[in-house]
Amino acid sequence: MPPEIVYTPESLLKRPHLLAHLMWRDLLASRELAWRLMVRDINAQYRQAFFGIIWAFLPPIVMAAGFTLAKDANVITVSETDIPYPAYVMFSTALWQTFVEALNGPIQAVTIAKPMLARVNFPREALILAKLGEVGFNFGVKLILIVALFLWFQVPVSWMVILTPVALIHLILLGTLLGILLAPLGVLYQDVSKGLTMLTGFWLFITPVVYPIPKEGIFGLLVRLNPVTPLLVTTRELATTGVISDAGSFWLVSALTLLGVIFTWVMFRLAMPYVIERVSS
Amino acid sequence: MAVGITQQTVPTSSQQDDAVIVVDQVSKKFCRDLRRSLFYGIQDIAADLSGWRRKSESLRQDEFWALQNVSFRLHRGEALGLVGTNGAGKSTLLRIISGLIKPDTGSVRIRGRLAPLIALGAGFNPILTGRENIYANMSILGVSTQEIKKRFDQVVEFAEIWEAIDAPVQTYSSGMAARLGFACAIYTEPEILLIDEVLAVGDARFKAKCYRRLYELRKKGTSFILVNHNPQAILNTCDSAIYLSQGKLVASSDAETIISQYEEDLFLSGAERYPCKLDLPPKPPEESLGLDVTSLFFRGTQSEILESLRSGQALSFCVVCQARQAFSGITLHLSISKIGGEDSVGTILYLSGDNDNIFFDMPAGSHEIQLQLPYLGLEPGAYTMKIKLKKDSIYSFDVVESFRFTVTADGKMSKCRFYQPRSWQLVSSPLQS
Repeated sequence: MPPEIVYTPESLLKRPHLLAHLMWRDLLASRELAWRLMVRDINAQYRQAFFGIIWAFLPPIVMAAGFTLAKDANVITVSETDIPYPAYVMFSTALWQTFVEALNGPIQAVTIAKPMLARVNFPREALILAKLGEVGFNFGVKLILIVALFLWFQVPVSWMVILTPVALIHLILLGTLLGILLAPLGVLYQDVSKGLTMLTGFWLFITPVVYPIPKEGIFGLLVRLNPVTPLLVTTRELATTGVISDAGSFWLVSALTLLGVIFTWVMFRLAMPYVIERVSS
Repeated sequence: MAVGITQQTVPTSSQQDDAVIVVDQVSKKFCRDLRRSLFYGIQDIAADLSGWRRKSESLRQDEFWALQNVSFRLHRGEALGLVGTNGAGKSTLLRIISGLIKPDTGSVRIRGRLAPLIALGAGFNPILTGRENIYANMSILGVSTQEIKKRFDQVVEFAEIWEAIDAPVQTYSSGMAARLGFACAIYTEPEILLIDEVLAVGDARFKAKCYRRLYELRKKGTSFILVNHNPQAILNTCDSAIYLSQGKLVASSDAETIISQYEEDLFLSGAERYPCKLDLPPKPPEESLGLDVTSLFFRGTQSEILESLRSGQALSFCVVCQARQAFSGITLHLSISKIGGEDSVGTILYLSGDNDNIFFDMPAGSHEIQLQLPYLGLEPGAYTMKIKLKKDSIYSFDVVESFRFTVTADGKMSKCRFYQPRSWQLVSSPLQS
């Protein structure tokens, strides 16, 4: 006899052991499906674009070109950066883009999969994992640009570069965690995706992507309070100078991120049936 | 499996019979107002996350019960039909059973791998090829890559799209896409199959193939719940059926009984039921033309007066009349039209003694004219009949403008516009050697 599955109106939070067991089981069960979905999405994404992977390179290049021109014309003044300025902007933009992709991923995935979610009961974790994989894949493509860039500008690299993936994963997880938190709401209300577009615009402004961390002023405080700052800056530092300027903030934000991922995952699981109930068919 | 819906893995208890689905007092409420509905959704999420008991058993403003206290069981290898009009709660019930949404009261217990044939082609991406979509779609339905590889050929064979398997799905005709979706779903090889009106896709030949495949699965012991507007399909496939009406389970019995009840309600929806008898008050002498109709009714084969009529029944239509003096050459005309429905197109049956060359001679007194009908040919529905008593087809003695009666279904009248009396036999001739 197969095991019995019971559906009742009660909240699963009252049975934390069962909840943890189910989460673990679904995570394992969703690996294969996540891979399939990722392959499907990446295939579809590149098949319908004439320029293909060039789209992964263009935004950092355009951004770097624009800011370098502005800096050379003294329209903006930026204090000295550790590495040549165009490389600095391009590398940072690639990191920032990866963060934004991770942030938007869960909301996009859940919104697009709405008809599927409303009809088939598959492990919902697969959607998130597939998006994570896609973010990773896209970063891999950008890595080609970054390597070329480092060679071109002869950016010195320390042995610490092998630790870069750790910081990068934390950066991606922070984006994903916020995305998962917003995903159920985003399915119900379109305000979420609209607000997010606006928010990321402002967020880029207070993140040290086109400038190094400012030391003083309200703006400096804002930049330093921004949780993306320590993760993005540490990733950049590990890949280039190897000197970490603010290890304390990095570990604080990383710890909060890892805890937050577990918390938002539980929330996501509990919320999805209610969301599906409201949008379906 | 399900996310976020309370599920528990319970050890098998010996008292449990071979039920694969036990639905116990399940209710579900929905909200008609979208804005409020979304807000309630947020409220429910907040209540669930805080671990507080949400008041799921009472209605909030603008809410209604889409399902109310529904209970039934599905046994291993059984096929259960689920009938009801649009909005009766059939799909909601299936979605609760498949664990997509939480019940508001009651519980659902499932034993065995369940596949919904609700979502044909879920996750199909039009840009990708049929081959790629088979892999994605079957993964979503919970089949491992290894298993998909094994069944791939069968799926393509069943969908009959060999030549188009490497073309993008957006180049497929709608029939091809539907066939592919159905093939993917049916080759997930589940133990319990929920089928929600999906067999309406494809041409007749493909439909027949689908039913054959369902039949094969049933022989292998798969249990079914079949939702269908087509009663014939349920009669062919299911042993038992349940009938949902406005969220409530109104009947649960063998398929034939349920279907005939459903058809009856369907044909007579909106129309009131008419008693099949009419007594007319005696006319004052100054209004009478000498021959008056006093009563109209039907008699069965034992001359008993019928209270309800069924399609195909043997009966007599009786007109009782009172003659104040002797008359000759009396004949009867009657025309029947259907009440309500989209097909109220005037007279559908006109019978006259005149055409049949039947004329009666009546001495003074009471008489009963009996029109014998070996089979009642009318389809189920409500009817009105106009009756004229005439002399020599010119002179009308009495007219009854409207005698209303109701015909009910015999359970075999789906898709029929009239009752066809019939008998069957097999004539065989031995092979010439």
